[in-house]
Amino acid sequence: MAVQLIDSEEILACRILAIDDEEANVRLLANILEREGYRDVHCLTESTRALETYIALQPDLVLLDLMMPEVDGFQLLEAFSRHDAADEFRPVLVLTADTTIQARRRALALGAKDFVSKPFDVIEVGLRIANLLETRRLYERLRGS
Amino acid sequence: MSARRSALLMRIWTDRPLAFKGLVVVAMPLTILLGSLVSLYLASSAETRAEDDVRRAFAIQRDIYQVHALLAEAATGVRGYALTREDRFLVPYRAAEIELPATLQRLDIAIEDPVVSRYFVDLLQVTEEKRASLRATVELARSEEAASSEAIERALMANELTLDTVRSEIEKIQRREAVVLDERRALVDEVRRRFLTLTAVSGLVGLLGSLAAVYLFSTGIVRRVSKLEHNAELLARGERLVDLPQEADEIGRLTVKLGRASALLREREDDLRTSEERFRLVIERVRDYGIFTLDRQGIVTSWNLGAERIKGWQTDEVLGKHFSRFYPDETRDFLPAQMLERARANGSAEDEGWRVRKDGTRFWANVVITALRDENGALQGFAKVTRDMTERRRSEEALQLAREEAVAASLAKSEFLSRTSHELRTPLNAILGFGQLLEIDAETLSGRHQEAVERITRAGRHLLALINDLLDISSIEAGGAEIEPESIDVAALLREARDLAEPIVASAGLRFDLTLPAGSPSVHADRRRLTQVILNLVGNAAKYNTGGAFVRLGAQAAPDGGGVTFFVEDDGPGIDPGKVNRLFTAFDRLGQNQRTKTEGTGLGLALSKTLVQSMGGEIGYTAGQPGARFWFRLGGEAVRNEAVTQAQEG
Repeated sequence: MAVQLIDSEEILACRILAIDDEEANVRLLANILEREGYRDVHCLTESTRALETYIALQPDLVLLDLMMPEVDGFQLLEAFSRHDAADEFRPVLVLTADTTIQARRRALALGAKDFVSKPFDVIEVGLRIANLLETRRLYERLRGS
Repeated sequence: MSARRSALLMRIWTDRPLAFKGLVVVAMPLTILLGSLVSLYLASSAETRAEDDVRRAFAIQRDIYQVHALLAEAATGVRGYALTREDRFLVPYRAAEIELPATLQRLDIAIEDPVVSRYFVDLLQVTEEKRASLRATVELARSEEAASSEAIERALMANELTLDTVRSEIEKIQRREAVVLDERRALVDEVRRRFLTLTAVSGLVGLLGSLAAVYLFSTGIVRRVSKLEHNAELLARGERLVDLPQEADEIGRLTVKLGRASALLREREDDLRTSEERFRLVIERVRDYGIFTLDRQGIVTSWNLGAERIKGWQTDEVLGKHFSRFYPDETRDFLPAQMLERARANGSAEDEGWRVRKDGTRFWANVVITALRDENGALQGFAKVTRDMTERRRSEEALQLAREEAVAASLAKSEFLSRTSHELRTPLNAILGFGQLLEIDAETLSGRHQEAVERITRAGRHLLALINDLLDISSIEAGGAEIEPESIDVAALLREARDLAEPIVASAGLRFDLTLPAGSPSVHADRRRLTQVILNLVGNAAKYNTGGAFVRLGAQAAPDGGGVTFFVEDDGPGIDPGKVNRLFTAFDRLGQNQRTKTEGTGLGLALSKTLVQSMGGEIGYTAGQPGARFWFRLGGEAVRNEAVTQAQEG
């Protein structure tokens, strides 16, 4: 964080959607984000509702678990990229307990912008979230100008 | 002595080359014939000479008669003239005057006998006297035409006397000549007799010579050749040869060669018979393979023990039967003929399928039919080798099933591991995450709560390490872990490992030593796994070296390029010898986990062993002096045996 290209207030104002079927994990993420100062955080434990929520909220960043009953993370990644416009940069950070290289490769190939294994380091996750949001804002600024 | 000599001569004769013998045989009668001709010629010329002598003797006689006749006629004529004085009585006288000298000269030349020559000189003289007396009488009668008849009477008387003398001389000569003629005749007879004898002897000798030559030939060569021919016939029939003397000539050499050929043939025959016998025995005794022969139509002509065992038919039940009876109903109509046709076309035909035994049960058979052909390529029949594959087919099916099950089990295991991983990590995520948040806010907590949070996070991390190691081992054992081998420079790898290992060792209050290998060896291994094993061993050494001073990491290369041995040693208390065999067992911490100071999952060595083995290496432990020495080897096959030996020593 040597150079602050985007004002931290602008980043903290970003809308974040966290999807994980495990209540405790969603709570943990909410807790971390709240402590960082994020104000627009939405949590979801039912993956069947994920796509409509995504479309409704148009979040700046999605925190996504992979292994979920009924609709899993991979299906959601595909659905998100189908829904978004081609020039949209809406980063997805995958947070999963599946540590296999296959899962990592597949998620990144389907459009996930970053990948963190559970159990994760709280501070590291906070930093990655901030980085991804900063990138999105920079991209939007470029596109707008 | 003489017998020995003749035997020796006979031997020398038989040892001569055939060309020499032929020359002798032809030359001997020819020489005898030539001798006979020469003697005949000599005898014939002697006879001619003798006949000439006889002829000459006759000529001499004739001339002597003529001398006598001329003188007698001349004397008669002269008497007539003297009495009548008629000239016509002088004709014989004048003829004698002319012919006498010529006849006497002829006689002079012809006479050879010395006695006759002497008589002849006397005859000449008397003849001259007679001629002189006749001449005188004629002159007397002519001149004295009137001469007294007394004178004439005297002259005629004298003439008469002279003529008597001549006659007696001639008679002497005639007698002598008769003797000479008899001698000549006797000589001619003698010569002729000798000539006849010689001719007879020549004929006889020539005949005997030919007989001798034929005898030599027949007893020597012809007899031997006929014996040799007999031997050749024996050889052709493959029978044992008659022993013949081995002379040095062509026949003798031929005998020797024939003998050798026979010996060689016999040897070959014996070999062949032995080999055939052995082969037949082998075939007969083979139990696991049904081996039998078929004629061109597929009729069984031989049957072995294996065939009996596999198919259930006895030899006498099946000989002369068609082999299609070994096929089940559904293939009997076409497959046997098809197999024979394939074997005929390609030399052999192989098939695998159901066949039937005598009792009607089926077995899975592997069948090879081979066409048997004679040296001209004409089909003689077929050899059929049948193997009962029922058991193997059954075990193959079982194996296939087991393999499928294993694959399914492996898949299930991978699936299970993946799920377990997820299921264990998910709650841990919450535990560690909230724990970490509490740690961040530690200043807001009481001392007791701080300690509790610390315990929660420490236990959580331990649980995570445990899960990681366990899943690592499981996934490697399930074949799910990816090993990415590459050629690694050992010294460079050790230097990299030092950067990671040194802080671990230093935090335990120990000195870190590094021993680099001589030269620049390299190993074929997965870099990340190799480092993981090294750090694991170094971590263990640092953890368990209580009261020691150092932990040493190093490597050494086998001199023949047979691999590289990595080692981690320390000067700590070492391992209880009784527990060494449990070192690499999962969760077995040898009771050391009782100590409060040491902590670990108990999976480190088990994981290290799995990793080293997954890279084709060996891992082991050797008691140090003092302390512990863990080593592992990576590299060639040669390493394996050495490692086993060392493990036994340990």
